[in-house]
Amino acid sequence: MGSSIAQKRLFHEYKNLSTNPPEGITAGPVSEDDMFYWEALIQGPEGTPFEGGVFAAELKFSKDYPLSPPTMKFVGGGVWHPNVYPNGTVCISILHPPGDDPNHYEHASERWSPIQSVEKILISVMSMLAEPNDESPANVEAAKMWRERRAEYEQKVRDEVRKGLGL
Amino acid sequence: MEPSFDVPDSTDWLDTPLSLLAPLESSLRCQVCKDFFDNPVITSCSHTFCSLCIRRCLSTEGKCPVCRSADQELKLRRNWAVQEFLETFQNARPSVLDLARKEATRLKEGDNHEPSPKKRKVEKMSSTEQVAVVQASPQHVRTRSQRVAGNASKPQPKEEEAVEVIDDSQDEEEEYIPEDGMVACPICERKMKAHAVFAHLDNCQGKMETTPPRAPAFGSLQSRTRPVEKSPGKTLDRIPAINYSLLKDNLLRKKLRELGIPDWGPRPLLQRRHTEWMNLWNANCDSKIPKTKRGLLQELDVWERTQGGNAGPSPFTSTNNNVMRKDFDAAGWSASHGDDFKRLIANARKRSEAQVRSTIPEASRSSESEPAIRPAAPGDPRLGNGISVETNQNVGSHDSLDPSS
Repeated sequence: MGSSIAQKRLFHEYKNLSTNPPEGITAGPVSEDDMFYWEALIQGPEGTPFEGGVFAAELKFSKDYPLSPPTMKFVGGGVWHPNVYPNGTVCISILHPPGDDPNHYEHASERWSPIQSVEKILISVMSMLAEPNDESPANVEAAKMWRERRAEYEQKVRDEVRKGLGL
Repeated sequence: MEPSFDVPDSTDWLDTPLSLLAPLESSLRCQVCKDFFDNPVITSCSHTFCSLCIRRCLSTEGKCPVCRSADQELKLRRNWAVQEFLETFQNARPSVLDLARKEATRLKEGDNHEPSPKKRKVEKMSSTEQVAVVQASPQHVRTRSQRVAGNASKPQPKEEEAVEVIDDSQDEEEEYIPEDGMVACPICERKMKAHAVFAHLDNCQGKMETTPPRAPAFGSLQSRTRPVEKSPGKTLDRIPAINYSLLKDNLLRKKLRELGIPDWGPRPLLQRRHTEWMNLWNANCDSKIPKTKRGLLQELDVWERTQGGNAGPSPFTSTNNNVMRKDFDAAGWSASHGDDFKRLIANARKRSEAQVRSTIPEASRSSESEPAIRPAAPGDPRLGNGISVETNQNVGSHDSLDPSS
């Protein structure tokens, strides 16, 4: 008794992700005592400058999950990407509640809804790595570089991937 | 806290020869809580959820979580077909899963140690596969019939016969329609004319006395006709929604007292508590076997401890990521962190003066404990934004913020 809807739902998602994980994605609570704090590993999508990299991120869930979306932040080194804040926080539409749209570019259908899941978030982030959305960048510099100096952007990403792997 | 992580799940089927049952089970689970439907109700847009789950969604968002079309709690209707399907499935689940798992281990062991009786196993395998494949086909009726036939005797390849079997069982189940043309409501078992049942179902208050759940035996359940007895003290009238803006604090508190729920706390908490109680209560009205008010109060208490007034300082009101939220209280944040901002500004001023004179080296800066901020600063026109973000991330290492680096 005493476990909330959010906890139960996170149990389900955890079990689902561990028995049937999507390719290139691992995720679960850091400690089983706290279901509201997860760690995830995402492989860099093939055919992108992120290929070969493994990116660690933390997910924080609110107590009224799944009514509100979690937040997601890359940890342990920068991810140079137009939609990732310099501190690592991920900014994509699926992590935004549908109520408001200060950026005026996101379709409501792309945004958070209680039927979304950790798995869908991580898959979205994977495809975000492959295809940045530069309409409302979280990292202006990265967005500028991506738009105007694509080769330099890709080189920088590759360098960071290599650095992240300790090469 | 939780006994174990081994929650029943649709993935339980994946390692068994019946892996095609996984999507079947998924479809019997609520997309919001991922559990089996609890009092399934259907929305105006024909999506089915647990009564409580969709009520909570609608009271926060007002939209269907699947298709995002607007809907109201008043328009929710119980989905009995799903309820019945679910009950029968849940009844059968443990034994079927057990069987499937045994089969899976047997197949595995067969691969490893015993090559000789393989022939039989291959046969078995193919027969289960056959069933599984048929189950995936769109013709559900035939599928079921084949299973029924398979249970009754040896698997029968002749489909015509199998279809007959299902017809029989349907006949049996429909026998409950009595000769007088009156039909019993499946919930309260009151008898009425057939055409009146559906209208009645929308308003049916359910059985008043709590009978032990005899879920799967619908035939027998419906054939019993018993007058509804209202047990005293338990009313299942739904709680209407309140337009909170029309109620002053005192009146709202009074309302909570009248409902028998705690009336302490600030205004927003009162509203949230009332909404939660309304959702709990009204969802309970959808239940075949409603809980007592005491049971509901316990659930409200769980809510109070996890999300309500007793939740304690949630990590999400104080942590970093909160600042990214669209509804972030910027004014409140800047008030409580005013000192930090002032110090940052002072530091930045000092530094820019230093640059102008280009005499003082960067020695005064404390160690760079957070390399992640570095890309934020250079020439970013939205420096203010950058600072507020970073402030949260690195309370204590503001000094490392260097707009000129």
